[in-house]
Amino acid sequence: MASTTGSTTKDAELRELLHRNYKYIDWKWNAVFWITAAFVVGAAGDITKLLFAGDWDFWTDWKDRQWWPIITPFAIIIIGSALQYIQWLAWRFPTGMVYTAVAMWVFATFGRWVQWGAFLDYPLNFVWPMTMVSAAVVADWTLLKTKSFVLTSILGGMAFTIVWWMSNYVMIAPFLQPALWMDRVLTVADVQGIEYVRSQTPEYLRIVEHGSLRTFLGETTYVALAFGGVLSIAGYWIGQFIARALAIWPIGRFMKKW
Amino acid sequence: MRRRIVVALTLGVVLLVASAPAASAHGERAQEAFLKMRTVGWVNVEFTGGEVRQGESGADEIFIGQGEEITITGITTLLSTWPGTLGGGNPNTGFISVIAPGPVVTIEEKTVNGVSAPHRITISKGGIYEFDMTIAGRTPGRWHVHPSFSVKGAGTLLGPGRWINVEPVDGYTNPLTLASGEVINLENYQLSFVWIYSLLTFFIGMGWMFYWTLRKRTVQNLAVTSQIPLNTDGMSVGLILKEDHRNMNWFLIVTLALTVGMFIYQAVAWPDKLPQQVIEFAPPAFEQAGAVPVATGISADYDPNTTTVTMEAEVTNTGNRDLVLTEFTTSTLTFDVEPATLEEAKLVVAPGTVGAGETTTLTLTLADPRWEGDKLIPTTESQLEIVGLLVFDDGTFAEVHAPLKTEF
Repeated sequence: MASTTGSTTKDAELRELLHRNYKYIDWKWNAVFWITAAFVVGAAGDITKLLFAGDWDFWTDWKDRQWWPIITPFAIIIIGSALQYIQWLAWRFPTGMVYTAVAMWVFATFGRWVQWGAFLDYPLNFVWPMTMVSAAVVADWTLLKTKSFVLTSILGGMAFTIVWWMSNYVMIAPFLQPALWMDRVLTVADVQGIEYVRSQTPEYLRIVEHGSLRTFLGETTYVALAFGGVLSIAGYWIGQFIARALAIWPIGRFMKKW
Repeated sequence: MRRRIVVALTLGVVLLVASAPAASAHGERAQEAFLKMRTVGWVNVEFTGGEVRQGESGADEIFIGQGEEITITGITTLLSTWPGTLGGGNPNTGFISVIAPGPVVTIEEKTVNGVSAPHRITISKGGIYEFDMTIAGRTPGRWHVHPSFSVKGAGTLLGPGRWINVEPVDGYTNPLTLASGEVINLENYQLSFVWIYSLLTFFIGMGWMFYWTLRKRTVQNLAVTSQIPLNTDGMSVGLILKEDHRNMNWFLIVTLALTVGMFIYQAVAWPDKLPQQVIEFAPPAFEQAGAVPVATGISADYDPNTTTVTMEAEVTNTGNRDLVLTEFTTSTLTFDVEPATLEEAKLVVAPGTVGAGETTTLTLTLADPRWEGDKLIPTTESQLEIVGLLVFDDGTFAEVHAPLKTEF
């Protein structure tokens, strides 16, 4: 009874604290954080993606059913996971993954439009970037419901990969239509990859349909998604490590010291 | 003051970007000489089609409109001098294409040894590959275009290039006929669909972010969140409310509805789909048309003052007719006894003929500033050697390599 009363008192104190007005900390601080951090987060997310899965994200003829869904979800969940931890810990916002996704979306789209479209004149229907937003919504929603990073990594990581694949497969689908070209049956994406010269990226560098995931009657995609989901879980914990050990902990030490 | 700084910075960026010339080279000068000379050789590279007239360089250049086609033909071969340090000394995968400053031309057709070869091919040291590529103008401008032979383990190696001027054409399209019979324009096919769909997902994400950032305080929450366990949503203290849970459920439902709905849509809209294709095969063997001569390099002396290589080579004519040396080629350089374009240099050879069944020592004088300009004299490298192909009047050719001597 005493414990319940104590808890209620504490809750009341915190509730009051939640609505306390600070003289110098107003909405402008919030705006400054969200806007300035978007550049850092967008850049970090995009660079991590490009480091691990750059070519798969650049070209339609790399966006295959085997390596694209294995490599990309792993690459993009890392920074999203770190932000998820930081924003949940500090403000109890289930927004880290979506924040990363929209910041990355702006960065990648702008980069593709300027670097590949305006400067190099590649047709943008050949070099469009993936979108992570739908998968991020699922991951943030999972955290909101489970309130657990372990469950979010397992359930959210798997769901993240599947939703990411479905939402991006929609965009690659028209480019997988067959065409008879150069006396061969090729996909539209293949034709784009051959027609539009990539000076220092010879075709043999393409890692597509490359491997031995050939069980399940050739249903490579399901195997790739299962493997991609497991890798996403691993990527999620890399992100957690970045957040906990490299971002939060040093700041905590700094704050205590001063 | 602040205004001046902003104006100065803006002006600085604009001037920097505006004054930067477009790159027209391909990085080939950065490659070491041995990488260019000891790896692949090029014979009879010709650009056919378009209008040939004097261009900006003062030499004959090719002029085509957008969508207008020209062909690049020739022969490339993997030399026996292929360095053991590249691709384990045993190159096995290659890709013949063109090099240009980006997709300024499109590749429309490509055969290797008479067979359609859109992708990689299986290759081997000593292999000879006759290529025939049709390219079409795409981006208006003046572009230097080379045939290229990319070899796994070595990178992309260039053959002799030409300047191609692409002139704008109203209503340019790049048509492709699908298996369904539909003709699409590759330049913008389904671009709107991709952007609209991607933008829809972005809007959902922005909606999610605005929900949390506009309705709730951010930085101020730290005072509360630092006092409650991590595995709680803080509902008891008013951090996350039931209403938030309910609204986020709706966000999820909309997101999944869009994802599943569009997934079904694509299955209906484009029922016939293939995985990306990977075509790899060994092209049929190419045999030289006549009796193949044998060449042995004796010496190669380089005079840096006149940028001239003087090479002595012993050539054995294994056929029954006299052979006349017409060309010496190495990397991007072609020396011809009768240069057809300003991009070809003059070959002086004495004697110029090797009698049937005879062995003759030829002295080749190869003068061109591009020996140094294109960094083809390997005086700073660990393998001082000049390598190239001797091309004869019957179309046959022979590899020759000789140790390089020069002044230091």
